[in-house]
Amino acid sequence: MSEINAIEVPKWGLSMEEGTVTVWRVSEGTSFRKGDLLCEVETSKITNELEAPFDGLLRRIVAQPGETLPVGGVLAVSASETVSEAEIEEFLSSRGAHPAPAAAPTQETAPAAAPAPTAAPTPTAPAVPKPAASSGSTLVPESLQGQTSGEVFATPHALKLAAKLSLDLDKVTGSGRAGRVSMQDVHNAIRAAGGSVATPPPPARSVLPGRTLKDDSEVDATPVARRLAGNLGINLHDCRATGSRGRVCEADVREAERKFGLVTTSPEPASDAESPVEFETVAFDSMRKAIGKRLQASKRDAPHFRLTADLEIDALLALRKQINAMVPSVKLSVNDFIVKACGAALLRVPEVNVQFDEQTQSVRRYTYADVSVAVALPSGLITPIVRNTDTRSLASVSEEVHSLVTKAKSGTLAPEEFQGGTFTVSNLGMYGVREFDAIINPPQAAILAVGAGAQRPVVVNGEVIPRTILTVTLSCDHRVIDGALGASFLAELKRFVESPALMLV
Amino acid sequence: MSEKYDVLVIGAGPGGYVAAIRAAQLGLRTAVVERDRLGGICLNWGCIPTKALLHGADVAHTLANLKPLGFTATGVDFDVAALVEFSRSVSERLSGGVGYLMRKNGVDVITGSARLTGKGVVDVDGAEYRADHVILATGARPRPVPGVIPDGDRVWTYFEALVPAELPKSLLVVGSGAIGVEFASLYADLGSEVTLVELAPQIMPAEDVEVADHVRTRFEKRGMRVRTSTSVSDIDVGPDAVTATLDGDAITVDRVLVAAGVQGNVEGLGLEELGVELDGGFVRTDQWCRTNVFGLYAIGDVAGAPCLAHKASHEGVLCVEKLAGVGHVAPLDHHYVPGCTYARPQVASLGLTEAQAAATGRELRVGRFDLTASGKALALGEPEGFVKTIFDATSGELLGAHMVGAEVTEQIQGFGIARSLEATADDLAEVVFAHPTLSEAMHESVLAALGRPLNT
Repeated sequence: MSEINAIEVPKWGLSMEEGTVTVWRVSEGTSFRKGDLLCEVETSKITNELEAPFDGLLRRIVAQPGETLPVGGVLAVSASETVSEAEIEEFLSSRGAHPAPAAAPTQETAPAAAPAPTAAPTPTAPAVPKPAASSGSTLVPESLQGQTSGEVFATPHALKLAAKLSLDLDKVTGSGRAGRVSMQDVHNAIRAAGGSVATPPPPARSVLPGRTLKDDSEVDATPVARRLAGNLGINLHDCRATGSRGRVCEADVREAERKFGLVTTSPEPASDAESPVEFETVAFDSMRKAIGKRLQASKRDAPHFRLTADLEIDALLALRKQINAMVPSVKLSVNDFIVKACGAALLRVPEVNVQFDEQTQSVRRYTYADVSVAVALPSGLITPIVRNTDTRSLASVSEEVHSLVTKAKSGTLAPEEFQGGTFTVSNLGMYGVREFDAIINPPQAAILAVGAGAQRPVVVNGEVIPRTILTVTLSCDHRVIDGALGASFLAELKRFVESPALMLV
Repeated sequence: MSEKYDVLVIGAGPGGYVAAIRAAQLGLRTAVVERDRLGGICLNWGCIPTKALLHGADVAHTLANLKPLGFTATGVDFDVAALVEFSRSVSERLSGGVGYLMRKNGVDVITGSARLTGKGVVDVDGAEYRADHVILATGARPRPVPGVIPDGDRVWTYFEALVPAELPKSLLVVGSGAIGVEFASLYADLGSEVTLVELAPQIMPAEDVEVADHVRTRFEKRGMRVRTSTSVSDIDVGPDAVTATLDGDAITVDRVLVAAGVQGNVEGLGLEELGVELDGGFVRTDQWCRTNVFGLYAIGDVAGAPCLAHKASHEGVLCVEKLAGVGHVAPLDHHYVPGCTYARPQVASLGLTEAQAAATGRELRVGRFDLTASGKALALGEPEGFVKTIFDATSGELLGAHMVGAEVTEQIQGFGIARSLEATADDLAEVVFAHPTLSEAMHESVLAALGRPLNT
């Protein structure tokens, strides 16, 4: 029983909606094992590697590099060798996926309906789809038949095809480098001589026995060979070792590359016609698009309500000053205290420490507090996460924020460093903003907007006295957090911020 | 509100300016503070201007040895002021080049003296700057010798030795590290009578003893007086001469050059107030160049030996890449920073000396090739020197390479690449070296270590 499986765009993180294929690491016709690297997929924020979810044979690449598909979209099809192209087409149309990217896509969708083609089609015929389902109907004209004698410079595929069709390669003119005969040359020769070719020329990548999947880290290889093999997705076990002292060398990897048909010619770059412009068009990069899309959806779908509180931070500032003055290795910012206080308050009010899953209409309540911190970048913003804010010391929170901010600015954050989190702190205090409100960062359900601390007059027992006040605004998603709940979170936050010693115990 | 940077570098020498470029390349808002001239000691008072003077010394040597080549030169004059002028112009040009690099990479250059007034807070002549990461790259300066006080006239440091008003008739060089040996060789070539004194049992104490002995022999052949295991005392600066005592022997010289190593520039930076830990006069750092203070790093000379420009540049890149979260950053193995001395003969080395390698207890394979058998060295008229390579007998790992002779400073990188790629003796033996080159000696040395030399 033959089975067809789709390889789909995975869902990496709740916020991921679509993915763009950047590069395939496995070619059509290659078998793979569960866990093998298949391709790289770029999401709105990162490029990640897609590992095979099962064992299989890659029969069809549906999404070419550069194509963007929604989560769950079919990237490729895996099926055993016994499954026909037509069956794959049927499978794909049932999934509503893209048609095959081959030269003549309509052909395979008409399985064996028309009679075998008559002889002598015109030489211009190749572009016209031939209604045939199997290679059985390839007609090799008599003039080309025979056995290839002696050495002919041809690709391995062309040699194989010629043997299969009983075709004499000596009669085919090669168009490759140094007159090398390719499969395309064979097909063209058949058509030119009045024969017909049943299937369209297969892509340069062709079915071959599976490759080794063993760990090749201990194969003796030169540094160049190892690096090249890694880039090409070639296992060093599949390379001969003709290098010095029995090592796999660069030439061996290149040979394997040819053997596996990974050599492809790059298409001509499209030339842009130059025309004078009066303005600069700045295309949105993926980060800009992601910000727009996600925050628009959040603002539209999540019923925001806002709660504002004034926090007295004189005690916090005194504690901060004391710690910073006495411990060289520590430099706490007011924001570090706020992040730590949020972590503590989130555990006190666990109903706020959640992620909202819109599809299942449920929330995930976490037992630890991963707090995202909004970092402004020249090209947008990103929210790296301080993990386990509740159990970290203030110094550790501070060190982590410090490191994450620089990584964010350098673009070196790893996906796990910014995906997830249950709550976000956005601080614009350093820009002198007194107070503001922020848009919730889904799938989180709340965000805290932090303004600048400043001395303000406060009335205590009928007397006006100066106090350092920091205004914070909590935005909540009313689908998840009700007003009283948000208020109790703010009350906890206020307690920790105004009695900062509580964060040290 | 004070300016806020992601990275602020103090000192624009070869460590600081390179760190600043790398930080800017990584998208970080970067500034570099320099109190004097861009390029630091290296460009202005060290590596570069000395090479310009040594080029002059080479010409002097060539002129003195014209006869075997069939030339006779008469009426050749030498004006030391012109050579100094050439040396200064080279520095000038390169310093301008650093300025261009800063502009090109978008690094702000702040002129003035920096002082840390808090963690991540730097005061430059009254203006306050803030930065998430502050990198100390303040370098080093000549270390004083007890009782020998440089006065800028009779008793020099390298600053004065680079810009002599006149050629000293006689020169006492105290200390035989790279700086002392280079100036000793330079002034000897220009015509001064040179005495080189070293406290340690060998000159160039960091080098392999065989290399040091070779250099000493050749210095002595040139008429230089070399004394090791000798201390200098009773320096008496007179109006026209300096007298000194070398372990009991009195000596009178025209000038004295103090070249007994360097000490870190750690003063006046506010380090004490911040509680920055020091180690022997240098800032203590971990393998990622971090100090014990939050957000504060130190690279290059101020962070300790080896005090070399290329070590500083390497640490600058390493430090910045680590703090920026770049993957695959490797700590620097201080043993494998190449060292070059541009005397005549040149010395270049990498890794362990034979004595250090033997002390590890490993079984060694040591290869040696004398340049007397090198066709190219003979043709250049400098057929003295050798290449010594030290390998671990079991693994084939290159433990050390020591070269002395013509243009060896340009060749040591070959061993550096080999070491970096973990090439074994066998790998190096397989390489085709071009003929005729000086570098063939490297190959022969490796073959000798493997017990199969071809040309000896």
